Amino acid sequence: MIRKLIGATAFALALGVAGADAQIPDLSKYPDWSGQWRRPPGLGIQFDQTKPLGRGQQAPLTAEYQAIYEAGLADQAAGGQGTDPTYRCIPFGMPRMTSAIFPFEFLIQPHTTFILSDYNMPRRIHTDGRDFPAEFEPNFAGYSIGQWIDTDGDGKYDELRIETRGMRGPRSFEASGIPLHEDNETIVKERFYLDKNDKNVIYDEITTFDNALTRPWVVTKKYIRQVGPVVWFEQNCSEDNHQVLIGKENYFLGGDGLLMPTKKNQAPPDLKYFNLPRR
Amino acid sequence: MRYQTSIGAFVLAAALSAACVGAFAFDETKYPDWRGQWDRIGAPRWDPADRLNERAPLTEEYKAIHAENLADQVAGGHGTEPTHTCLAPGMPRAMNVYEPMEIVVTPHTTYILIDHIQDSRRIFTDGRDWPKEIEPTFAGYSIGKWLDSDGDGRYDTLEVETRAFKGPRAYDASGLLLHRDNQSVIKERIYLDKADPNTLVDEITTIDNALTRPWTVTKKYRRDPKDTQPFWRETICAENNNHVVIGTDNYFVSSDGYLMPTRKDQPPPDLKYFEATPK
Repeated sequence: MIRKLIGATAFALALGVAGADAQIPDLSKYPDWSGQWRRPPGLGIQFDQTKPLGRGQQAPLTAEYQAIYEAGLADQAAGGQGTDPTYRCIPFGMPRMTSAIFPFEFLIQPHTTFILSDYNMPRRIHTDGRDFPAEFEPNFAGYSIGQWIDTDGDGKYDELRIETRGMRGPRSFEASGIPLHEDNETIVKERFYLDKNDKNVIYDEITTFDNALTRPWVVTKKYIRQVGPVVWFEQNCSEDNHQVLIGKENYFLGGDGLLMPTKKNQAPPDLKYFNLPRR
Repeated sequence: MRYQTSIGAFVLAAALSAACVGAFAFDETKYPDWRGQWDRIGAPRWDPADRLNERAPLTEEYKAIHAENLADQVAGGHGTEPTHTCLAPGMPRAMNVYEPMEIVVTPHTTYILIDHIQDSRRIFTDGRDWPKEIEPTFAGYSIGKWLDSDGDGRYDTLEVETRAFKGPRAYDASGLLLHRDNQSVIKERIYLDKADPNTLVDEITTIDNALTRPWTVTKKYRRDPKDTQPFWRETICAENNNHVVIGTDNYFVSSDGYLMPTRKDQPPPDLKYFEATPK
């Protein structure tokens, strides 16, 4: 297998394009990943697509993080949110954002591949040959560096390899709350490539290295390209979010807008800062 | 209400055609170089030349609404400013560019990427017409057309029309409101300053039923040509948002985690759904 990495040559190419003062570059070496990509029909939002959500994922958690996860599951069973941080509209971050809760789009440029979804912030995968900066501000999506590879030596790139670091949290793998380590030292490595027999299927092989895991956790996700006209939706999490966090307690806003408990016998919030009688 | 316009077979064919060949068959030298990280010049107010929006050509009805809004803000409320709960600013407010902007030009779409709430936009330049039905969004549905205004054989201006909104939307933090019927039409002309290729100009004309006439404002953005690897900060509105709306009233969650009034003598929320006594 011949593997050609994008390195200094590609960087020079990118600079060359800039020098030519033209924004749209020659993409003939890059694969056609255009269009709208979705999870396969009928699939849920679990992290490992081949296993059921929750304990069925068999995440290789350390004993400490398995205990944290179990406590979170018990909290969810009681009406809480457990260790799923996204109920307050905190971003999924990496690697959960690869679960494609909403459709996404690749936007390939020589210097950057963007992954755009109408839920997450734009994900930038830098492919200009840079190294990880000595210092950068952590974010939920992390800092991603990619390399295009020509695996079959036909002169065209067919695989994008990505390494992502520099994350912050809290993050979980999925809605059941499988936690990543609070030290946020996660490293995520990915391989995106089209199915050789079906150009409308793309895979993302994701390997997560995290101190909450006993070993690297490898899952391969599959996405299907929509054939025909596509519609992009605007998913604004905060627009209809009924979850309210006050102190350490989560409450729910009912259909009439009033605060409701989320657990049996949950105490209402302390109103010590109010002087007037309740409405 | 769904916005009534139309995708026809011809448009569909054009779009599909663009998707199939657009990435690889185009004249890259025809497009301007708008790469880089663009920062707004000045404060994020709507009209850079009118700090208090006193020149806004509001109808009498919306003048009264705005005056009431300002009075509410003075009293500690948010008036008609809708984004305090992390709603997307939508158009035209997104072009205040609260966080740095990146523009990616492809033949079929120009992407405006802003890592703030949900301010990113797709501007379709594939020759499509308005779809028959559009799900309204805060950002609206944008169709653009490239112009070669000086006849030198290269595009230099992107004309954009945006329709199909939902609300509430305001122009800026003053709460200056667009009409609640959401029938706004936004027209833009985006081009580089002829005297300075590192200044981008956006002439924005808002046609809205809260206005007595179209309202044109010109915004400018700057890029640093020396910053070849700008950092893109992820700004998560919901992460540290202490504003809580319960019923129709706004409250604040204090740094010690208690619910607080936002106005003098504001009554506490109705806690009728709780059986337990307050903590």
